[in-house]
Amino acid sequence: MKSSDALASRPFQGLRAFLWTEVLVQAHEELAMATSMVVQGVLLVFVWILNPGLIGVALVGAVLFSMFTMGARVLNEAAYIRIDHKASDLYLAGPLTPEAYFLGMATGIMVVYLAPVAIVGALAAVVVPLAPVEVLLLLALAGVVWVCAASIGYIFSTAFHDNRAIWAYSSLFFNIFGVLPPVFYPLGLFPAALRPVVLLMPPSAAAALMQRAIGVTTLSSGELALAVGGLAVEATALFVLAVVWARRTVRGR
Amino acid sequence: MSGEALRSVQLRKVYRTKGAPEVTALSGVTMEVRRGERVALLGRNGAGKTTFLKIASTLLRPTSGTIEVFGYDVDRDADRVRPYIAVVPQEGKPFFHLTPREQVYTYLRARGLGRESARDRTEEALRSMGLESFANRLAITLSGGQRQRTMVATVIATQAPLLFLDEPTIGMDPFARREVWSSLRRLTELGSTILLTTHYLDEADALSDRLYIVERGHVIVSGTADELKRSVGGSLKVSIPNGAGAVDRFRSFGECVTDGSALSIIVHPERLGELMDVAVRAQLTATVGPVTLEEAFLRVVGRSIDEE
Repeated sequence: MKSSDALASRPFQGLRAFLWTEVLVQAHEELAMATSMVVQGVLLVFVWILNPGLIGVALVGAVLFSMFTMGARVLNEAAYIRIDHKASDLYLAGPLTPEAYFLGMATGIMVVYLAPVAIVGALAAVVVPLAPVEVLLLLALAGVVWVCAASIGYIFSTAFHDNRAIWAYSSLFFNIFGVLPPVFYPLGLFPAALRPVVLLMPPSAAAALMQRAIGVTTLSSGELALAVGGLAVEATALFVLAVVWARRTVRGR
Repeated sequence: MSGEALRSVQLRKVYRTKGAPEVTALSGVTMEVRRGERVALLGRNGAGKTTFLKIASTLLRPTSGTIEVFGYDVDRDADRVRPYIAVVPQEGKPFFHLTPREQVYTYLRARGLGRESARDRTEEALRSMGLESFANRLAITLSGGQRQRTMVATVIATQAPLLFLDEPTIGMDPFARREVWSSLRRLTELGSTILLTTHYLDEADALSDRLYIVERGHVIVSGTADELKRSVGGSLKVSIPNGAGAVDRFRSFGECVTDGSALSIIVHPERLGELMDVAVRAQLTATVGPVTLEEAFLRVVGRSIDEE
């Protein structure tokens, strides 16, 4: 018997290769790439027309929202390739580990869709303007938002058996988490009673922290703790849950 | 790696869904696949073939019973089993936005193969599946048969010790099917073992060393295709298109099956002349051919493989 492929299964084995696969898959979808910033663009135009003074806040929000939608794309992609292509059967009945499949897919999507977000980020840095430390904070928060969204997206994707059902949920997902809460506008304009809720939602919590950093929003120490602690706990817990969930759902019951 | 390529003992699978009645897909399947064999699982839709393959390939948990791949328990040691197997899933499709070359190559890389080895095997698999002229076209532009060939190329390129192929030639033209058969024969010559499901009885006949017929979650018969055909009670099949009404004249020659107005009779070669005399005297047109797996399947299961 000839030797098989790499025999010992290590955590995240095959991550780089599957990431590259996803990059190739996504890079062929020029239309999706071209339209990936439409919602953000429209919201930026609205803000610019209604209150040009808030365009800096909106640009920062657009970066965070974009990272969130990139993560949310995992919901559609994971469900689509599992249901329509049986790609999960093809790949996971093999040495590629489930966590590498999840993270490779999420990272591959991010790599392909990152360029326009970087341009918006550069614009934000100029328009606000952002100090180097604020740029670093924005990068860190964008990463945390992406981890949360990608993890939620993957976990939810496993619940669907029909692609058509996903469209409604993915739209709900990014509107409730990204458009409605104060991501593109200052936290101060949001009803005070509901601030704890939005400070627990990753995109708006990250936006609040950035708005505080650039002096647009003030946060009480409790709100600051809620936003920082919430993001840290959510990102860690959701990522761990997604990895565990990925391993658990390889096999049907 | 030890043991048979695959061995299952009393494997059961019951699907339980809230608000729906239980469905027993497998009711104690015991079977084995020896190393280097090509084994076919035959059965009608819903017989349990895909469920068995999904459990064997670590994608579904059994309700009870055991199943081992190369001596590893598939349920407990799935991580150890996976590097030894590769699967063509039923109704699987390549990524639409990859070319066949990219699909095969990236899949091999994701399985841990080095660049050079992955490149060589990709080209070999594309060649063996006759995909060279489509190799750089996006899969979305390929026909259903070409996509299916891409899926098979993806999996055979792994040269994994145990390959599971769920309806691997569905949608392919006869030439492409034969290319797949040749490739699978080559793979087993190199040492791989193959377990496939198929609806095509000629495919099972041409390709499998042994086969299992599954019906309602049970293995009801196993053996070589020749053994099964011999069990029919003759090696020739006489077909009489309008012979159903004259069935009584032929009962003494062997098993008679009517289908509408058509009659077919399974007969031993030494009684063929006598039977043809009877047909000629009754002014019936008869054609003679060898007994196929179709007759064997019909006799064993009591229904045609395409019957729902």
